Amino acid sequence: MLDWWLPENVSTYGQEIDWLFHLIYYITGVTFILVFGTMLAFIVMYRDRPGRKARYTHGNTTLEIVWTVVPALILVILTLLSVPAWSKIKMTMPETDFAVQVTAKQFNWQVTYPGPDGKFGTADDKTLLDEMHVPVNKIVRVHLRSQDVIHSFFVPQFRMKQDAVPGREIRQWFEATKPGKYELPCAELCGFGHSGMRGWIYVHTADEYAKWAAENLTAAAAPAAEATPAAKNEAPGKAEPKKEGKAKK
Amino acid sequence: MSATSVTAHAHVDHAAHHDLGFVRTYIFSTDHKMIARQFLFLGLSMMIVGGLLALVVRWQLAWPETAVPGLSNILKETDGILEPSTYNMAFTMHATIMIFFVIMPILAGAFGNFCIPLMIGARDMAFPFLNMLSFWVTGSAGVIMLSGFFVEGGHAAAGWTSYAPLSAVPSYTGVNWGQNIWCISLFIMGVGSMMGSINYITTIINMRAPGMRLFRMPLVVWSLFITAILLLLALPVLTSGVAMLLFDRTLGTNWFRPSGGGEPLLWQHLFWYFGHPEVYILILPAMGIASEILPVFCRKPIFGYHAMAFSMIAIAFLSWVVYGHHMFVSGMSPALGMAFTVTTMIIAVPSAIKTFNWLGTMWGARMQFTVPMLNALAFVSMFVIGGLSGIFMASTPVDIYIQDTYFIVAHIHYVVFGGSIFGAFAAIYYWFPKMFGRLTSPFLGHVHFWGTFVFFNLTFFPMHIIGVGGQMRRIYNPMQYEFLQHQQPWNVLITASALCLGLVQIPFVLNFFASLFGWRAGWFRVLAHAVGALVAGATILVFFSSLGYGKVLFGIVGLVVAVVVFAVSRRDTAGCGEKAPLNPWNSNTLEWTAPSPPPHLNWGATIPTVYRGPYEYSSPESKEDFLPQNVPPVGAAGARRH
Amino acid sequence: MTTLTVERPPVPRRTNGSLPPVPPHRGGGDGPDRDPAPHRPPLDNVRLAMLFLICSEVMFFGGLVSAFLVLRVTAAVWPPPLQPRLPVGVTAVNTLVLLGSSVAMAAALQALRRGDARALVRRLGLAAGLGSVFLLVQGYEWARLVRFGLTLSSDAYGTTFYTLIGAHAVHVLGALVWVAVVALLAARGRFTDGRTGALRACAIYWHFVVALWPALFLAVYLV
Ligand code: HEA
Ligand code: HEA
Ligand code: CUA
Ligand SMILES: [Cu+2]
Repeated sequence: MLDWWLPENVSTYGQEIDWLFHLIYYITGVTFILVFGTMLAFIVMYRDRPGRKARYTHGNTTLEIVWTVVPALILVILTLLSVPAWSKIKMTMPETDFAVQVTAKQFNWQVTYPGPDGKFGTADDKTLLDEMHVPVNKIVRVHLRSQDVIHSFFVPQFRMKQDAVPGREIRQWFEATKPGKYELPCAELCGFGHSGMRGWIYVHTADEYAKWAAENLTAAAAPAAEATPAAKNEAPGKAEPKKEGKAKK
Repeated sequence: MSATSVTAHAHVDHAAHHDLGFVRTYIFSTDHKMIARQFLFLGLSMMIVGGLLALVVRWQLAWPETAVPGLSNILKETDGILEPSTYNMAFTMHATIMIFFVIMPILAGAFGNFCIPLMIGARDMAFPFLNMLSFWVTGSAGVIMLSGFFVEGGHAAAGWTSYAPLSAVPSYTGVNWGQNIWCISLFIMGVGSMMGSINYITTIINMRAPGMRLFRMPLVVWSLFITAILLLLALPVLTSGVAMLLFDRTLGTNWFRPSGGGEPLLWQHLFWYFGHPEVYILILPAMGIASEILPVFCRKPIFGYHAMAFSMIAIAFLSWVVYGHHMFVSGMSPALGMAFTVTTMIIAVPSAIKTFNWLGTMWGARMQFTVPMLNALAFVSMFVIGGLSGIFMASTPVDIYIQDTYFIVAHIHYVVFGGSIFGAFAAIYYWFPKMFGRLTSPFLGHVHFWGTFVFFNLTFFPMHIIGVGGQMRRIYNPMQYEFLQHQQPWNVLITASALCLGLVQIPFVLNFFASLFGWRAGWFRVLAHAVGALVAGATILVFFSSLGYGKVLFGIVGLVVAVVVFAVSRRDTAGCGEKAPLNPWNSNTLEWTAPSPPPHLNWGATIPTVYRGPYEYSSPESKEDFLPQNVPPVGAAGARRH
Repeated sequence: MTTLTVERPPVPRRTNGSLPPVPPHRGGGDGPDRDPAPHRPPLDNVRLAMLFLICSEVMFFGGLVSAFLVLRVTAAVWPPPLQPRLPVGVTAVNTLVLLGSSVAMAAALQALRRGDARALVRRLGLAAGLGSVFLLVQGYEWARLVRFGLTLSSDAYGTTFYTLIGAHAVHVLGALVWVAVVALLAARGRFTDGRTGALRACAIYWHFVVALWPALFLAVYLV
């Protein structure tokens, strides 16, 4: 029933976040109704009327203990439920051979693919501006950096957000579940161009992605490096761990 | 009892007034009550600046890149259209002013100064001269802050959080002196608040009236006590932070610049180590005020006095260990993030205790819906909404998504406006008779309250929705993003409501001054009508001169409000501005035993002796439904301790 | 209800500013008849206020020192290889000088207790003198370091060193002015009439500023 609220979720861990969101929504919703219901009832029942005398009481220890312990329990449970999702999203890095380096700068996303050699920082790297192409159903590792100020890599439909901090590289991951074109806004104030610092993430099917990679990464980046037809068909990320020797030749 | 004070009053009044010239009485006064009034005026006038900046922000968000009415004379090059950098400046200064120069001066400054000595039975603060200094230091920080609008390059534009390195290198924002002034002003403000808080703490510890034990203190004094401790310990951290930032900007140090071995996240740690206690500095006095006003108008004791006091202490302690929840996705170690989730969830427990105790106070009450009571009830309910939205963010995975969206903006405003500002309104209406010796108009008060309550919710509730829809905060133009465009009608609604929210503050201003000077003063009536006419005229001019989508509607709304104000000013002349009796609300606490307004040194020859706690309403001990703290127990007129 | 006739309230000596005409500060009790066991605070206003001021200052320096430690721990090499070393020896001696001034200040308070006005002034002067020596030596060392190329902006090393030590120096300077004012007042015969607040506050602050130094010395020079 809240689906019209949240943008569509197209990532694997997005579901867990949405589930938690809904859980908290219902918990707080019930709390809200209880508190407001009680308050309104009291306001109506105990309004000043001639002849009414207020109850002279200083408190009730049992009651107070109850309403300390119950919320405490709810909150502890909520914490325990939040922990697995958090450690999955932010504290573990699943195995993957697809890595992209994203360097933010005022006010663009520079998306770097490692090129056929599978390594960043080499001559065959291919850098795109404000666009990122990834295959669907594949774990993508993002190496997040910044050249100047703090930016934030936000993909609403992936439920993903991470600040890019100058001076360090932060590694994140996501796995998209549906092909499409998704916006990549910057979510941390980074100067006058912050609003409008926006990129696009294209999620392709495996075939489409291979095609795109062949045309845009391998071909364009290393036409001189005698790209073989075989290498052409390979996604750059796939090449990462194994192709090292080949790249060095 | 009261007769005693009245007789004494006559003398003191003369003694005090004869010796002091105008300057010593109204400007460089060391009297805590005058300093309180000065803080109140500082806060309220800054609120107009901060509020108008918010409206500028709102205008841009609803009708991006259209000329903001009234700004064409200021933004001459663009003919009133905001540039992105001006937009950033607007919300940065909106938040800075609202937090540091509206809420802190009003709640901690004005009501801290007014309530503490009067409610614990002291004649003044422990260090009256320091107290005066504290106001003037804070006031000059405010003036310095405002001066930033006029320097080359504009005012600070890196958010009220001023994250480094954006704020640390002038070329990143294009702001040079603006940000420096921001640092300098906050540094000075830090010094001023340190003076104030030392004074508060010393006064509360050492200068209580006989019989005023710690656990007989009114809860508002408890809250101010705890706030003062937080101020004392939290603000120096900000002070050191802004000093480093200023050095980075002007002397070329490398605290926050990675290129020279600095660490950008260091700023965030320092800022939030201050910043989280700061948000409780904003809310605790309001909690105290609500705890003070609810029993009075429920005519029954506060439910769980000790739990109320201890939960505030718990909040204060915990507020030091939750600050990391602002940095969940900042690049800080995720394990730390997990630890901060735990503490953040825990800090909701004392708030729960307070909420339920307020409900307990209402249970079996005899509620009188006066204006202060309505505002206090609004405080409780709006704080609960704001607190509950905090739970979403406390859960780290959910925060990944909603961090830096309008959901946060909604949270901010539910707690600071719904919480602190309603608390401030409640306090102003409640203590106005004592502070200025005049009654306010209940009618105007109701108009103001209901208008504020309705439009507040219409303004800020939809922000939850667009926030969950993904709209980022601090963006200049949501229409630049395809996934946000379908939400634009919400933004229009929010802006419309925000404009109305601004307009319904007019009855408040009117009420304030009408009560202060009295309707009967002919010159005031003329002035009020002139101002009313001006506002109506300006509204019409502004809105109809830039005819367009939706604007006509607001012109009409503005007009209606102005007409209402007019009608009211003719109708409601009774009550408003009348001399206030000693104890208009039949309250128990000591300030009501002093004359209205209390003279220099507050009481006559003797200060009251305290025999009981502050919330003995409807006690079987007395025939009346209240039993002031200073009335000796029946049958033991001479008894000293009870 | 009986209307008590109240006497004229105590007439303030001066109704404004520096001398608040406030009746007894001890809990505000108005005499033994009303409050036979007046609430006697363990610490008087001046001591209490200074205590809180010190808490506040500790948080201020806490911010600086923790920021310094963060930069220092995350740096690859510390101190950076091409930067001059800090003069540990001279500063150690200088530390003793500063500690000596604290002793002088304690002795000054002793003189106050004995009511020996001339010793008071002398010892205050001594404390101020030692404090000035400390500052001068520090300044000299700074000048040398700057000449060797360690500046505020050279890198995190220079940044942290000058900010931290500079913050302390500013505090010493402020305290020094305070001591000087107090010494002047003492020379003009103040503080013998029992109104010793300003002097005691000054002494507490001086001790704090002195005690702060070894901590900074340890953090910045030694560790
Ligand atoms: C007055 C100010 C105030 C107050 C009181 C609070 C109170 C709380 N805040 Fe808020 N907060 C701010 C002001 C305030 N906050 C501001 C200004 C920001 C943004 C800063 C910026 O980035 O610009 C912010 C941001 C902020 C964040 C960071 C969001 C982000 O940037 O990603 C978080 C995350 O955890 C948070 C959490 C909380 C929590 C858990 C509380 C709790 O204390 C709330 C506790 C209260 C309740 C929970 C309601 C009452 C309880 C019950 C009815 C009991 C039953 C409840 C349950 C069982 C759930 N706040
Ligand atoms: C502390 C208190 C406080 C208060 C009271 C307010 C009050 C308001 N705030 Fe603010 N706000 C913050 C604190 C506060 N805010 C903070 C901390 C931020 C984060 C900033 C950041 O990101 O750095 C923020 C950010 C913020 C944003 C997000 C900007 C962005 O991220 O891009 C918006 C947008 O709608 C907004 C709107 C408003 C509005 C409409 C009001 C209204 O309630 C204002 C209504 C009041 C008035 C209008 C004043 C009264 C006027 C008169 C008495 C004169 C008569 C008026 C007329 C003639 C119209 N605020
Ligand atoms: Cu980049 Cu905001
Ligand atoms: Cu917080």
